[in-house]
Amino acid sequence: MSSVCVLTPIVIGSWPMIAAAVVSAAGSLGFTINVPGTVITASGPGRERVEVDIDHSAGLEAGIDLANSISMYTDGMEIQVKQDERGALSVCVIGEGHTKGELRAIGTQVAGRIVQQFAYHKLMTELRTRGFDIVEQSVSQDQSIEVRVRMNG
Amino acid sequence: MNKPQLDIHLGPDGKLVVKVSGVSGEECTRLADMVKEIVGIEDSRILTDEHFGGARIVSTSAQSAQVNARNSGR
Repeated sequence: MSSVCVLTPIVIGSWPMIAAAVVSAAGSLGFTINVPGTVITASGPGRERVEVDIDHSAGLEAGIDLANSISMYTDGMEIQVKQDERGALSVCVIGEGHTKGELRAIGTQVAGRIVQQFAYHKLMTELRTRGFDIVEQSVSQDQSIEVRVRMNG
Repeated sequence: MNKPQLDIHLGPDGKLVVKVSGVSGEECTRLADMVKEIVGIEDSRILTDEHFGGARIVSTSAQSAQVNARNSGR
């Protein structure tokens, strides 16, 4: 007998864990990370701004530092991933010459990729400590990650 | 004897699908529960019984409930 589970990851972790997932997500999307701590203040003329929440996200520490944010850029768009005082994560996308729909699509893509990278690193770390080894791993054309792990010993 | 094996698919939208194989019964359930505990919220679970060549949906989401309702109405 086997079983197949469909799961929605919860993004709960310390800021360093979340930041690592954000950096991995930026790398997999080909985006460039800005200097840490860059703050996006307001939309200027001709610039649109969209914010996308990352569902099921929270910080581990009480009293989150509001400076927790990472920004990246690509193709005239600036993307900031930030953590609010409750620890919830959101993706803010600002761009010139793009519709709000286009910016929202980018924000949703970035949010999904952060969840993917967070879940991947958390799952692999936990499975290794529980005696599983990676026996196969690949990234599909649609950027899905396929991993086969097997109990060692 | 087969070793417990997990085939993991992580979609670019963050959705995760895990197939547990190489074990049966309670051990299979235990491993599926372990993955759920690590990752987060379980949307659905399907137990595949190769002896009978069928599938039963045993869990949890609204979508699964609808599938069960449809199946039981046949």
